[in-house]
Amino acid sequence: MSGYILPPEPMTNEAVAERLTNAAVSRIQNGLIKKQNLIYLELNGCSGNIISLLNGQNPDFEYMVNSMVNLRYSNSLMASEGEQAMEKLLAASQDEYILAVEGAVALRDNGLYNVIGTLNGKPLTGLEAVTMLGQKASRILAVGACATHGGVSAAKPNPSESVGLQRVLPEKEIIKLPGCPVNPDWFLGTLAHLLLYGVPETDNLGRPLMFYSTLIHDRCPRRPFFDKGIFAEKLGDKTCLFKLGCRGPVTRIDCPTRQWNGHVNWPIGANTPCIGCTQFGFPDAMAPFITYDTTRVVKDE
Amino acid sequence: MTNIELQRLRMNHLVTQARYDLYTLSGLTDQSPQKQPILQRLWDTLSEIHFISEVLANQANAQPASHLTQMQPAMLAANGMTLNQLPNSTPSNDRTFTLEELANYDGKNGRAAYVAVNGTVYDVTNNRTWAAATHFGLTAGKEYTEEFASCHAGQQAILATLPVVGRLL
Repeated sequence: MSGYILPPEPMTNEAVAERLTNAAVSRIQNGLIKKQNLIYLELNGCSGNIISLLNGQNPDFEYMVNSMVNLRYSNSLMASEGEQAMEKLLAASQDEYILAVEGAVALRDNGLYNVIGTLNGKPLTGLEAVTMLGQKASRILAVGACATHGGVSAAKPNPSESVGLQRVLPEKEIIKLPGCPVNPDWFLGTLAHLLLYGVPETDNLGRPLMFYSTLIHDRCPRRPFFDKGIFAEKLGDKTCLFKLGCRGPVTRIDCPTRQWNGHVNWPIGANTPCIGCTQFGFPDAMAPFITYDTTRVVKDE
Repeated sequence: MTNIELQRLRMNHLVTQARYDLYTLSGLTDQSPQKQPILQRLWDTLSEIHFISEVLANQANAQPASHLTQMQPAMLAANGMTLNQLPNSTPSNDRTFTLEELANYDGKNGRAAYVAVNGTVYDVTNNRTWAAATHFGLTAGKEYTEEFASCHAGQQAILATLPVVGRLL
């Protein structure tokens, strides 16, 4: 992979993913890179990110487990359960591994509000697990809103005193992938970049620029309506959703071009405002998600 | 007044010119060498239209004050008006607000959305970061000097782009 790849080489998602796959496989075969271990922890959250991950394409989930990494622990996907699963987690932590974490870390009562298993007859809290595993991990990925900044788990009044991963591991470099949930491409793409080329370029908040560089507003297909002051008054209207509370103008992510569910559609394409789920401070800072007593509609001058 | 009339004539002339050029262009083939100068002239025409419209807009803004002072007292009398009944001719950005007044401009039910920073009241009704008159958990109609300083320290340029509507008392 020397230099840039330019047209007439195909630039579709499938073609890009195929080149990525071939590059990774050939490098693994030539011993240039070795398959790394991945530990996927789920803490205080809703498991939404792992479900989103299963919906991945280019690269897809099957490719990830077969070619990119050895998935050593994921409580949602592994066959083992109970103490057996915990033993696998401990065994995996003896080797070198990449740590991916979804969900926030609950601090209240020494983390007892989020117990992820039982070890030697004692409850293992998310706080203990992430502190222990975070210190040894070769790389750390914070996956989704809760892991990056607390997200929904830390929303007011935050009864579990949840915080983002960085608060528990202040010294560690953490690649942050905010989103509620994370798009499978953002996670799998970042992981692939990590394996092939190392840490991707990030902004000052730790988000990979290849996904989080551009405001939704700047690539929104409804931008001309905003510029002309033509605003939707209710859900389902085909014009700019700004007056209903669209957070596209403050949210940096590639949804307008990447889209969701296999690159099919996205919120604004379905006539509902962006709720700013990839923005730090979501959901409290992005509320209200929808509002009807809108500011005045400016007629064309 | 004659000045404005002249500018209007000039504008009309330019629009006619542009229409004529567009008509000519529509008849030319893709490879025609005549195309380049016509496109260049269209560009120039458009620039001048833009310039004149800016001049006119400036005059329109200054209009209420100057227009009224030029009015003859006789005309006012004929219209049955006295000077006291004249509409307020102070520019709108000299308005003063108390915190209570500011609270009315919360952006709801068709009201404008105003916020105050460092004693100046700004209009954020159509500001793109203030969708539905809210901004990262803040609602319009309030004073946000501290909040602005904590999130946008050294970013005075943000304030410079906002329309000023008045001062906070």
